[in-house]
Amino acid sequence: MSSPKRIEGFIPRFTVWGKPFWEAAKKRELVVQECVDCGKKNYPPTPHCPSCLSLNLKWVRVSGKGKIYSYSIVYEYPPPGFKTPYIIALIDLEEGVRMLSNIVDCKPEDVKIGMEVEVVFEDITENFTLPKFRPIK
Amino acid sequence: MTNKVKGNIAIIGIGEHPTGMFPDKPASELFYYAVREAIKDAGISKDEIDAIIVEPCLADRWFNTDLIWSRTVDEIGVGGRCKVNVQVHSGGSTSSNSIRMALGLILSGQAETVLVAHVEKLGAGPLSAEEVNRIFSTVGIYEEWEAPYGLNYNVLGAFMTQRYMYETGTTIEEVASVIVSLRKWAALNPNALLRRPLTVEEVLKAKMVAYPLTSRMCNIVTDSAHAYIVTSARRAEKTVKTPVYLLGIGGIVTHFSFMKADITRFGWKKAGEEAFKQAGIKCGDVDVVELYDSYPVVPLIQLEELGFCERGKAGRFVYEGHTWPGGKLPMTTDGGSLCRGHSGAGGCAHVVEAARQLMGKAGERQVKNAKIAIATNVGGQYMDAQVMVFGSEIP
Repeated sequence: MSSPKRIEGFIPRFTVWGKPFWEAAKKRELVVQECVDCGKKNYPPTPHCPSCLSLNLKWVRVSGKGKIYSYSIVYEYPPPGFKTPYIIALIDLEEGVRMLSNIVDCKPEDVKIGMEVEVVFEDITENFTLPKFRPIK
Repeated sequence: MTNKVKGNIAIIGIGEHPTGMFPDKPASELFYYAVREAIKDAGISKDEIDAIIVEPCLADRWFNTDLIWSRTVDEIGVGGRCKVNVQVHSGGSTSSNSIRMALGLILSGQAETVLVAHVEKLGAGPLSAEEVNRIFSTVGIYEEWEAPYGLNYNVLGAFMTQRYMYETGTTIEEVASVIVSLRKWAALNPNALLRRPLTVEEVLKAKMVAYPLTSRMCNIVTDSAHAYIVTSARRAEKTVKTPVYLLGIGGIVTHFSFMKADITRFGWKKAGEEAFKQAGIKCGDVDVVELYDSYPVVPLIQLEELGFCERGKAGRFVYEGHTWPGGKLPMTTDGGSLCRGHSGAGGCAHVVEAARQLMGKAGERQVKNAKIAIATNVGGQYMDAQVMVFGSEIP
């Protein structure tokens, strides 16, 4: 019997309104909320549309492509449970929302603001898949 | 709306416990030290205090809860006279909101003499290093959308620095020079923790923490306590020789998460314009600025957005020494969070230092003839911009 995989990082509690995002991630799909009433896209997910407070929200698949808005490489004093170094970045998606994520498959010295990246999915546990990004080659 | 801020209330006394690591002193000891100093400095009887505003102590939750539930009333003996005991908490911008609350209490006649006090024990306090680390990777950070990626406050500081340098062409040497400036001030402050002068090279060659920030560009959490006493301007003039008047206070809350923020500007411009308008002053009238400084880029952004420097020029301004002792714009004259030492969720120290300068009680680091001072506060993920204008007279 193989020993259980040691979990690195942090596993959050899911909100009711966030759950569809995580379910889609498990199926390798990146989705964001879109308000049926005012048409605005929304990330991070919220219980209602922050622009018009409508509860009429749907989930739409996005391209998973974007550009790095800012980044850092953590070498020391990471949050408990994280292994250094890792690249963390704010990514402006093509669809106009900004996501916080990690950049993978990239050497620390290669990461740049403005770099074009695409989504990849990392299975952390059986029930938790985390969307991350890598440079578009 | 008419301006009810300018010249209506004043700080009449300040108190401070040195910033450092005090493993043998509990939070209460530091807290009451600062409180007694503030009362003594104002020269009032403690029985005159009729409202108490406590700022949060993150490290000692037990003592913090005691403070919320009026322990101070028992321990400074004002039970039966005190009308209000309450905690104000907005993280690092707490003290600006304490001032607002004091203003409201005093102008509405609900209180006359307000004690504001803050203690923190994040340095050598009851928590382990890991527990302190956990605080700064959870407070004000989305559990579901940020924590899984390893976000903490050093990363927020790095995000701002990277984007700011990218947009403005500011160099990392110029960013690091903020530490050089703060160390020069800390060297003159016996209450500061990090007093040894540093060069830009020394700042940059320190251990890399969160690229491009080295350990010397990240704040260090400490033990410290600060307190001040606020009353009506009329009463202040009868009580002390050097009242420090509130002339203006402007604030704007912009976001919770960096995913929703302009991280090289925030709300400083709007907050500054409001505060300056109330006070009826311009940048040229300001003698000293006590800018909130959790990471070196934070005061650079403020210098530009508040109008002291053009966009992209603040780094050069600091690098050239204009914010040093004897410079044309003395900045964060107690050494700030980065060199006096970070005192947690308060911003109280920045208010106390502004008042100290205007009272002429800053000793070796006294800015000559300081009449107008700015103090700024910001909380959480730089969620708000809070600008206070104080004056030793009402212009």
